[in-house]
Amino acid sequence: MMNKKRNIRNMSVIAHVDHGKSTLTDSLVSKAGIIAAGKAGDMRFTDTRKDEQERCITIKSTAISMYFELSKKDMTFIKSDDQKEADGHNGFLINLIDSPGHVDFSSEVTAALRVTDGALVVVDCVSGVCVQTETVLRQAIAERIKPVLFMNKMDLALITLQCDQEDLYQKFVRILENVNVIIATYADDSGPMGDIKVDPSKGSVGFGSGLHSWAFTLKQFAEIYADKFKIDPEKLMNRLWGENFYNPATKKWAKKSGDGYNRAFCMFVLDPIFKVFDAIMNFKKEDTTKLLAKLDIVLKGDDKEKEGKDLLKIVMRTWLPAGEALLQMIAIHLPSPVTAQRYRMEMLYEGPQDDEAAVAVKNCDPNGHLMMYVSKMVPTSDKGRFYAFGRVFSGTVACGQKVRIMGPNYVHGKKEDLVEKAIQRTVLMMGRYVEPIEDVPSGNICGLVGVDQFLVKTGTITTFKDAHNMKVMKFSVSPVVRVAVEAKNPAELPKLVEGLKRLAKSDPMVQIIIEESGEHIVAGAGELHLEICLKDLEEDHAQIPIKTSDPVVSYRETVTEKSKIMCLSKSPNKHNRLFMMAEPLPDGLPEEIDDGKVGPKDDFKSRARLLVEKYDWDATEARKIWAFGPETTGPNLLVDASKGVQYLNEIKDSVVAGFQWATKESVLCSENMRGVRINIYDVTLHADAIHRGGGQIIPTARRCFYASVLTAEPRLLEPVYLVEIQCPEPAIGGIYSVLNKRRGHVFEENQVPSTPMFIVKAYLPVNESFGFTADLRCSTSGQAFPQCVFDHWQIFPGDPMDGKSKPWQIVMDTRKRKGLKDCLPELDQYFDKL
Amino acid sequence: MDLESIYEIDRVAEFICARAFRRVALQFPDELLKDSTRIVAALHEKLRSFNQLHTGSNGDAKDVRLYVMADTMYGNCCVDEVGASHANADCVIHYGHSCFSPTSTLPAFLVLGKASLNVPVCAKKLCDYTVKAGKPILVLYGLEYAHAITEIKASVGTQSCSRLEVRYADIMSLVITPSETFNGKPQLSDGQCANGCSTEENNASYRIGGLMWSLPMGHRMEDYLLFYVGSDNSAFANMLMTYNTCEIVRYDATEDLLVNDFSQQKRILKRRYFLIEKAKDASIIGILVGTLGVAGYLHMIHQMKDLITRAGKKAYTFVMGRPNPAKLANFPECDVFIYVSCAQTALLDSKEFLAPVITPFEAMIAFGRGSEWTGAYVTEFRDLITSSPMEAKDQSEARFSFIKGGYVEDLEQQDVEDVEDGVSALVNITAKALLVRDKDSQTVKMGTAKSGAEYFATRSYHGLDIHPENDFSEPFLIGKSGRASGYKNETTQQSL
Repeated sequence: MMNKKRNIRNMSVIAHVDHGKSTLTDSLVSKAGIIAAGKAGDMRFTDTRKDEQERCITIKSTAISMYFELSKKDMTFIKSDDQKEADGHNGFLINLIDSPGHVDFSSEVTAALRVTDGALVVVDCVSGVCVQTETVLRQAIAERIKPVLFMNKMDLALITLQCDQEDLYQKFVRILENVNVIIATYADDSGPMGDIKVDPSKGSVGFGSGLHSWAFTLKQFAEIYADKFKIDPEKLMNRLWGENFYNPATKKWAKKSGDGYNRAFCMFVLDPIFKVFDAIMNFKKEDTTKLLAKLDIVLKGDDKEKEGKDLLKIVMRTWLPAGEALLQMIAIHLPSPVTAQRYRMEMLYEGPQDDEAAVAVKNCDPNGHLMMYVSKMVPTSDKGRFYAFGRVFSGTVACGQKVRIMGPNYVHGKKEDLVEKAIQRTVLMMGRYVEPIEDVPSGNICGLVGVDQFLVKTGTITTFKDAHNMKVMKFSVSPVVRVAVEAKNPAELPKLVEGLKRLAKSDPMVQIIIEESGEHIVAGAGELHLEICLKDLEEDHAQIPIKTSDPVVSYRETVTEKSKIMCLSKSPNKHNRLFMMAEPLPDGLPEEIDDGKVGPKDDFKSRARLLVEKYDWDATEARKIWAFGPETTGPNLLVDASKGVQYLNEIKDSVVAGFQWATKESVLCSENMRGVRINIYDVTLHADAIHRGGGQIIPTARRCFYASVLTAEPRLLEPVYLVEIQCPEPAIGGIYSVLNKRRGHVFEENQVPSTPMFIVKAYLPVNESFGFTADLRCSTSGQAFPQCVFDHWQIFPGDPMDGKSKPWQIVMDTRKRKGLKDCLPELDQYFDKL
Repeated sequence: MDLESIYEIDRVAEFICARAFRRVALQFPDELLKDSTRIVAALHEKLRSFNQLHTGSNGDAKDVRLYVMADTMYGNCCVDEVGASHANADCVIHYGHSCFSPTSTLPAFLVLGKASLNVPVCAKKLCDYTVKAGKPILVLYGLEYAHAITEIKASVGTQSCSRLEVRYADIMSLVITPSETFNGKPQLSDGQCANGCSTEENNASYRIGGLMWSLPMGHRMEDYLLFYVGSDNSAFANMLMTYNTCEIVRYDATEDLLVNDFSQQKRILKRRYFLIEKAKDASIIGILVGTLGVAGYLHMIHQMKDLITRAGKKAYTFVMGRPNPAKLANFPECDVFIYVSCAQTALLDSKEFLAPVITPFEAMIAFGRGSEWTGAYVTEFRDLITSSPMEAKDQSEARFSFIKGGYVEDLEQQDVEDVEDGVSALVNITAKALLVRDKDSQTVKMGTAKSGAEYFATRSYHGLDIHPENDFSEPFLIGKSGRASGYKNETTQQSL
């Protein structure tokens, strides 16, 4: 089955939190016969962890492979040859990944998207498109993943909100528009994926209820009515959506609403559903029986006794089974690996687009070189070991095969981050279970045993000697919340270290680093994420009691003005002088550097042009950028603004080394610098080379950088969250007061159309966000639900040099934590008199 | 106290006479240099009187020549044998604080000096502390207070404030003979071993920085509370590091206070841990020779070199006297330095240094594959040398770097395996280096080079630029004149 690559669909389920992904996935799983139909919707099969079940929130993404047969009739809907096997085989293998919706775990979504080609975007039809819907959809499109839409929670709209038909239709239309606007913004119609907008009349939008496990697309209804109207189902589908009206009396279609005309969607699709709901929920026994007969539904045994909601579930599930509708939609509309890899290859592969690996990936060739991308690590039942979970893009991966394992830092032609090892076993991931399998051909998703020791989180596995890496995933969130951890018993340090190592593996986002002070820092995307990580660390990975510090926020140091004076530093032997000044980088440039739009590897001419045009730089200076820092790529610039200095090229390396050092550990509290430009104005050097060696220049340059920063109104930058809060109107007051207390401010407030719900968007400094969720719940009596995601850096108001200000306090705390001297650095330490 | 008793002129003279030394070097730290002339005078006086006593017996009336040595190359606490041999001396008298590191060629006599101590207050504090403590106590002290310990002991004994055991450390022999066997039982200096605790054979004995003590069988250091008399100096820091699992209080003799907040020092330990982690990522390592006197330093350097090569890294040895940031920054290609020196000067805090400076012990953890730090800390050579080379676990797992937050495969390990003849290896390395440079000549990437040569290849400046097309000579220029702190033309500017 796995060899029929045209009949494979790799897809992920993505959505905002609580829009019903896992529940919906259950219906699909039940269709594949893995769990009993009756349990679908309650079991949350893909939530494998205990805490996931308890909290009813997905934390880790989970993969399942399913087999599904499409009826012969439906096969005709698949037009492209690459989308089905030539022999007309109608069995499909669907590899599905259920992903978490909470923003803290969106790294899991990124990992899931990488290995799939299609995405089922689930939207709660009551609350509509939310911030996370947009984020994941944007990510999907950036990865060139084709979306299909599913409107979930129709039961809620019908039973609880009692919408009428036209209202509901308008709701659907609005969601559809929103989704298509997002798609249109981030995708290019003329791009290689073609038109990827979702359209109900094409069948790429589903409606239904995951909880009750029923769903339909217009295709289902079109087929029902096709005979009656004697119209081709495909044509009928067009009529069932949009501005198409039908007059039952005259049996005529029209494009405009008029007397006696009803909207086709309402009449043919919603009306029957409403009738069923009405009949069953209002206990109209006779109507129910009549309807059931009409719908050809035969109830079995004790199902007949059921009433109300239970009966409704049974009826709807039998009439419009969710699995059937969804799987049809998936099989018909989502691309096969063959189709998808053709256009995804250029996005995936870093190497030349015409080498053997690239060609094999492009053609999804199972006989070519193996190219596999490992997107995450899945813990095994065996403590401390992991399955490397990923997608085979070309070639075939088999047990015992000798492969090259290339980590994210591997550079072609070098030996860094590269090992050659044999694969012990290959397995299929089935939610809670794994199935061993001999080999896995291209286009499939699988797990590997025996490579986890060489990869931290992600990597490329290949058999091709000259292969480059597959592109590293870019996450939409960054780990800004950090805590320091230590073992309660210091002697258990090795255990802690081992545990941290495992933790780093098991989560795609979490960062484990060691600070200058020797503390182990665990950094996560948000409070919830960190909480889960620490729990895992304590209970599973290290299994020792752990002491955790209060959350620590990492700051950045910047300057706000040009240095007041020309800063001079002399070398230890007094023979060399450096003259420099600092100034802030123009707004927007640090972000562009972060995004890699401006970088050290650019051609210096085009980079200079950009700086001159966009940021009004001096043309000669723009060409004389010596370095980016820290780590040679950071958002600080060292510019040579001197003229005609002798031996200057000789000390360049030393000054740059000092620059990297100083930008990494800046002067106030050894945090990174950000958005600082340092200009070298003049340099006096000793005539003998021995007196201007690195030993004299590096420390001097560093001191001069510090002096420049200190004289240029240094400030702290703090990370800021974008918070989106959804709540009913009465709770808004509470939100404002909580945000005000925490230095947050609201910049957008919208009512979700035709609901009493409001969406409030605000900025909130990360260091004020601890306990924010709890505080907010408390002051809005649990009605507000916030989602925080790192958005930007912002200047912390107040002068850190002023002994009474808040930033000063932060600088002091940070210095203390890092074991630095207990006072602010004096300018005299760095600034020398002539 | 007078000069005679503080600097033990009597005993020094006796030592010189008894061993019949002819040329004697007196080594002073900077802070005692002011007393040197008086000491020399007093010693001369004493020696002459001794000689007069002995002339009758053997008729050998040659004068003893004394040399004063100051500004030692390395730490003040070590015996500067190289300096002494410049004067052709046949023994060294070392004044001031000492680390009791064994010497390799010359015999030495240590004069510790005597700092004043308020004995009753100290004894009282010790007593109070014993009452509160629930564990037996071990009393350690700074060497300058060694003279007062017997008094304290007596004073505490009379007060009999607790039934708990109080043990006192002894001072080691003040005479250091360059014996190859420092494992042998140390000689006890006369009159010091008064409590007679070290008579039992089976006792585990401990030594650190000139102090020695023994604990009864079955007792470990963690079972004791440490009471330290002395100031907060490198000797004490060394003590804290070594016995980091013990509870320690310090009695500050100048302030007459008990200090028991050592969070700062505890932090140092963590910081060292960080440095170890950092060292693990290093590929070029500099070995700094920080001593030429401490016995076993050569052995240590060889051991380090061996360790580094086995870890597949590159080692360079530097001799540069006392290291400072400017000196070390002359070698930016080194990712980490190992400072081979006596126990008490080895801990250099490296905030100012471009690359971290670690001790041989830390290096052993960092480069010994598969070894993990358990919290124990060793600074003295003899403990390090005797400790068997750690069993390199045959781990197939790649090393996890907490600095980079990822796996790092020490690739050289694979390199070492494929045997290449010298020429082709060189060609490979050069080719690689050239490749790197072509790719991004704009950026100097630190820490990726595998050897000094490779590092230089990635630099943007390689040396003099010789432009063959520009062959007319430059005109002469008049340079600056004056001193570096202010050239002649600048002084005029300043006055304006």
